[in-house]
Amino acid sequence: MEEKKIIKVKSFRFDPQKDEKPYYDTFNVPISGKMSVQDCLVYIRENEDPSLAFFINCRLGFCRRCLIRVNGKSCFSCLTDAEDDIVVEPLIKDQVIRDLWSKDI
Amino acid sequence: MGEVEKLCDKVISTDLLIVGSEGAGGHAAIKAHSHGTSVLILTKGKIGQCGASQMAGVDFNVDGKTAKKLGFIGDDRDSPARFFEDLVREGLYLNNQKMVEKYVEYAPKAMKDLMDWGMRIYGYDSVHTEEMARGITSAGTYWVAAIRKKVKELKIPMLEDIMLIDLLIREGRIAGAIALNIKSGETILIKCKAIILATGGWHRAYSFHTGSYDLTGDGIGIAYRAGAELISMEMVQFCPITMVWPPKDRGSIALYVLSCIDPFDKYIQLVNNKGERFMEKYDPINLEKSTKEIVSIASELEVENGRGGPHGGIFFSLKHLRTKFIDAIIRIANNRIKNELKDTRYEFTTLIPELIKKCKTENIEVGNGAHYMGGGIKVNENTETTIPGLFAAGECSGGLWGAVRVASACTEVGVQGIIAGEVSPKYVKKVEQAEINENQVREILDRINKPLMRDEGITPNELTKKMHEISGKKVGLIKEGSLLKEATEELEEIINNDLKNLCITSTKSKELNDEWIKAIELRNLLTCLYLSAKSSLIREESRGEFYRRDYTYTDHDNWLKTIVMKQKNGELDIKFEKPVVTKISLPKGKLTYQEAIGVATASLKRE
Ligand SMILES: Cc1cc2nc3c(=O)[nH]c(=O)nc-3n(C[C@H](O)[C@H](O)[C@H](O)COP(=O)(O)OP(=O)(O)OC[C@H]3O[C@@H](n4cnc5c(N)ncnc54)[C@H](O)[C@@H]3O)c2cc1C
Ligand code: FES
Repeated sequence: MEEKKIIKVKSFRFDPQKDEKPYYDTFNVPISGKMSVQDCLVYIRENEDPSLAFFINCRLGFCRRCLIRVNGKSCFSCLTDAEDDIVVEPLIKDQVIRDLWSKDI
Repeated sequence: MGEVEKLCDKVISTDLLIVGSEGAGGHAAIKAHSHGTSVLILTKGKIGQCGASQMAGVDFNVDGKTAKKLGFIGDDRDSPARFFEDLVREGLYLNNQKMVEKYVEYAPKAMKDLMDWGMRIYGYDSVHTEEMARGITSAGTYWVAAIRKKVKELKIPMLEDIMLIDLLIREGRIAGAIALNIKSGETILIKCKAIILATGGWHRAYSFHTGSYDLTGDGIGIAYRAGAELISMEMVQFCPITMVWPPKDRGSIALYVLSCIDPFDKYIQLVNNKGERFMEKYDPINLEKSTKEIVSIASELEVENGRGGPHGGIFFSLKHLRTKFIDAIIRIANNRIKNELKDTRYEFTTLIPELIKKCKTENIEVGNGAHYMGGGIKVNENTETTIPGLFAAGECSGGLWGAVRVASACTEVGVQGIIAGEVSPKYVKKVEQAEINENQVREILDRINKPLMRDEGITPNELTKKMHEISGKKVGLIKEGSLLKEATEELEEIINNDLKNLCITSTKSKELNDEWIKAIELRNLLTCLYLSAKSSLIREESRGEFYRRDYTYTDHDNWLKTIVMKQKNGELDIKFEKPVVTKISLPKGKLTYQEAIGVATASLKRE
């Protein structure tokens, strides 16, 4: 049987045009089957908050642009498994266009 | 600055605008630049890091004889003429033969360019053909890296993370384009004399596909709106053995690739949820090595009859092998990938060994992902569309393949990239910059801004779900008149109502507003899907990649014609055109689908 589990994804949020300073939002994401951090972000964008900004393109490690920080460590969001609660942040926090997309990726 | 220049946030001028930066667009840019034309590349991603090209296996095709001249082992029995014949025969005669001639002629040139630009090559193989070795193998990532390096070396100007929104037409010819910066939300007016569209496919009209996030049929939808003719929109290739589950691997064709490689191809079995090796029923002689089409259709029939997996696929299985044997396969694969080829791609270094290992204890759910778009913007052998100043190259174009994409698409995009890069500079020299139509600019800006201004309506996510529901259930691999009819009616309704009622409410911010970008892309995706459903409904036969269960014959007498569509006074105008013939005359008669594709052993009866 597939495990069904809910994890908490705590995401860095910041819209420099609107927000005075960054803040965090926490979303519940149901995990069924092995999911990447990017799958969780897609889930959030499709079901919880369509305004969440993050990078996605090839989903399989080819483009090497989906760099973010998961629990403080830099990684490719499409190649990183989401198994337990996580904190997601942009690669470079003081160079953010919006949310999880920092300028130079 | 005139009035019209003030409408957009930025104004840029160039002679030639190339939209799409990858196999087709990048190659075209390098060629056009070498003819002294002022070129600007516009791309929705970053060069070498977007589109389908980076994800390709990859293989290129050159006929065996000419391959020898390029320094490969080659095959003396082969010739350009033989390659041409194979492409037309296996394409089931719907090909534009002038385009096929150019494909064969330019294939070595495209290959030579890539070698000169330093693309690493793996080897020479019999990809796509059983009889003749015509395939030069590499990695998609090396391919696009070689193009990127050359483009940067030549300092060709580029606008990255910026998308084409619409073309500007004056007196029937190209005057420019409107683009949108995805990162900043700024609009850009681009004045130019000619445009090459190299925007790839429209994979995202399907929820299950093998492509990348930027493939939303923009070039095709945009060209159609501008009045260009489209061709063969019903020809969509699905890739069997695409990962269905788990979500992290969904859309990967790693196992399909593995199933094509010697010696792994010998050991792979496809089974249904009862553990039955179902290909024994559909094609007892060729089994899993039957054609891509038959394997796809057979898998689909199993699922339809309740013998599929929990997520809508069938299973890739190595359960018939002993654990020790599977370990040996992993060792061979690892050795080949890591030591011999020194491949660094995740799918190959990590995913494939992981999946094979998993096969020791479980089967892996796989299915048919939307993979390659055979139709598109109608071009002639010179990549000219029906709009003066508008060229199209690569997967967004149509006409080359006929009913089956039987050889390398990567060679296609290089060939057409070169041709577009040679032909468009000549056009640019002949014409003056046309004046921009201010009303057209206003209309376009107004249209894209509307969803941001609306507070009620349908959201892009809701509309995407509706679209995927239709594409998945009614415009999939096995087609049927009654379902296609429903699909076209539903899509008409969506295009006439929902599309005009899109609203973006989560944020009105213009920076990286994915919802807003989706709203813009949906217009193009829905256009492609609608036209594909419509031409599928019109084609009352089965041919190659196109399978209608209510018309299972390949009908040379009535259907050796292409379906050409364009927008005229806001209405869809449809006509039939005989394929362009140069050397091979069109056959007559009516064959069963299986006979026509050369698998007379396959049975595809509905239960
Ligand atoms: C997973 C996978 C594996 C494949 N493997 C093989 C293989 O082994 N052999 C083979 O022959 N073929 C293969 N194919 C098919 C082949 O890779 C493609 O047909 C080919 O690479 C397409 O090249 P292209 O340049 O036409 O388009 P793409 O490479 O898809 O590039 C499209 C470009 O257009 C840009 N773009 C799109 N819309 C816009 C817009 N609105 N504004 C600006 N830019 C835009 C994109 O960002 C991108 O730069 C594979 C395809 C996939 C998906
Ligand atoms: S999305 Fe391309 S590497 Fe992650």
